[in-house]
Amino acid sequence: MSKINEKEKLSISDYFNLYRKLKNSKNFGKNKKSIKIALLSSFTANGIKEVLFVKCHELGIYCDFYVGKYSRYSQEILDKNSGLHKFEPDLIIWFVDIMSIFGSNYFLPYSLNENQRKKLIEEKLNEIRSLAEKLKSDSDAKILLHNFEVPLFSPLGILESKQKFGFIESVEALNSKLRDTFKNDDQVFVFDYNAFCSKIGKDNAMDYKMYYLGDIKFDLQYLPELCSEYMVYIKPMVSITKKCIVLDLDNTLWGGIIGEDGLEGIKLGPTPEGRPFMEFQQYLLSLFNRGVILAINSRNNYDDAMEVFKKHPNMVLKENNFAAMQINWNDKIANMKAIAEELNIGTDSLVFIDDDKSNRQMIREAFPEINVVEMPEDPSLYLKTLMDMNDFNILQITEEDKKRGRMYVQQRKRTEFQKSTSNLTEFLKSLNMVVTAERANKFNIPRIAQLTQKTNQFNMTTKRYMEEDIKKFSEDKNYHVFSVRVEDKFGDNGITGAAIIKKGKDIWSIGTFLLSCRIVGRKVEETLLAYIAKEAKKAGAKRITADFIPTEKNSVANDFYKNSGFSLVKKEKSKEVWEYSLKNDYKFPNFIKFVEKQMNSLKNAKS
Amino acid sequence: MQNLKKIVAKVLDIDEIKVNDSLTMSNAEQWDSFNHLLLISEIEKELGITFFIQEVEKIKSFKDLREIVLSKGR
Repeated sequence: MSKINEKEKLSISDYFNLYRKLKNSKNFGKNKKSIKIALLSSFTANGIKEVLFVKCHELGIYCDFYVGKYSRYSQEILDKNSGLHKFEPDLIIWFVDIMSIFGSNYFLPYSLNENQRKKLIEEKLNEIRSLAEKLKSDSDAKILLHNFEVPLFSPLGILESKQKFGFIESVEALNSKLRDTFKNDDQVFVFDYNAFCSKIGKDNAMDYKMYYLGDIKFDLQYLPELCSEYMVYIKPMVSITKKCIVLDLDNTLWGGIIGEDGLEGIKLGPTPEGRPFMEFQQYLLSLFNRGVILAINSRNNYDDAMEVFKKHPNMVLKENNFAAMQINWNDKIANMKAIAEELNIGTDSLVFIDDDKSNRQMIREAFPEINVVEMPEDPSLYLKTLMDMNDFNILQITEEDKKRGRMYVQQRKRTEFQKSTSNLTEFLKSLNMVVTAERANKFNIPRIAQLTQKTNQFNMTTKRYMEEDIKKFSEDKNYHVFSVRVEDKFGDNGITGAAIIKKGKDIWSIGTFLLSCRIVGRKVEETLLAYIAKEAKKAGAKRITADFIPTEKNSVANDFYKNSGFSLVKKEKSKEVWEYSLKNDYKFPNFIKFVEKQMNSLKNAKS
Repeated sequence: MQNLKKIVAKVLDIDEIKVNDSLTMSNAEQWDSFNHLLLISEIEKELGITFFIQEVEKIKSFKDLREIVLSKGR
């Protein structure tokens, strides 16, 4: 969860004021990104709308809001013509409090016996589950479902823990069942409201006076903090996600200055001054392991820095954890540009960590889109600062996402190797590539959908598909859908390509055909055409056609079909159709090993 | 007292000059029941005082508010 009290200098009425100002301003509704949020709650939840509106605006998101009828969330969900459904939200915040769920049993939990308590929890769970199912069937919105605050009191006092399925235990059970119910659900996310209340202090979560006066069950003063937690979900929904942490070295990854203090002098290890840096590195490593890319931007002698990576016994991060290393005496702005170019990612997906205030200021001014972390002066707070960050969230993680940090390191090594070889063919030959085509199955479908969503450059049609769409294609006998994995001597690139082909009697038509840009130009694309041609021929087809839809971003693919021996047969306003006659075989590049994989069987199509 | 006026002006989104004893819940458009509670919450936080529930119900004008805040030593 994000940090309490950090940037929350604005009071709740400041938010209301800002909201009014923004609503009346000329630029109202002119933000680039937008999101429609609906709020369903069991009590007066005024203020969430205003605070979220302002917080979204700060990130350039226009936020359209619907507040469900007071305490009538079930009707809003069940009635297809309700305001909720008419609004067609992208996100539904579902905030029901524990008192509403329990009713008078909240105060008299032991007027029920053990079995009745169990039954009550089961009933409540089923109620929520069936409402959620209904909501899912009528809406594509992501659903942020609050769990329940576990109470701090019990009429039984210290004997509470001796009860069979006691009051506290029953709320905990409800929370744990909620989590289990939606664990594998990619539409419903359980928001750990109980943990959030612990963070702000459960004694603060509700102001009793406000509850009795206005049925406000959450202290208004903490609304900004609550909304910050909602933002953690909203950011990835509008694709505001950071991918890479760019790190300084001296006094950031270790204490002291390597050029002055030397290998023995820097602080890094199991001492009071060294441990903060060691544990900071450990947490960075765990971010790397979940897919965050790491890079270095440091003014230092390269060899001095390398000595630490190679020789220091307590150095947690190794050279192998960094996808780009700009260690030199260039200015940090130039280095930052070089890093973004090398990794081929936008500067808006970078986070910068540097202990030096003036460096931070310089980067902030040069790249306002970079998240420059306000590092505390005291290194003992580095770890906490890093743990409080919530910029790397994605709503669904694929195997490829987890490996991303590693893959970018391999890519750096590949590039270094390429520079050392004389020509491209020699380089490609010595990579020992293995390309695996795998028919769509339940394991690769999420990734195929993700690739259609995210690939802009080498994407012949730029058609975006949801998981459900890919699943439908894969179940249709008239379609051939497969993913592409590329491995070489530097490692596994993971699934980096996909194609969707419509199988006609005489003609096979290639629709979606895409490859991640770091793979393009390595003859993988030709290998796939050869595979498609072979399969089409085997099935008795005479020709292959392929669609190309030009966009602003896919110019790299402009001449692909042309250069691959296809001829243009139709040119419409926004679409070209290319054709290849199967009279001739399409040749597999001879230095790539091609494998065709089906769910449970491995069959070598060609080696 | 200047602080109190500031808070009232901010919550009700009016000029500070207009915050005087003639300001009441019935003549200030924005002074609805929710903003009333918001006002109480903000005053409690900013001035470090606590209202009783009866007091909150009793306050109908800036004059009422000012007198109760004064009685709490602010």
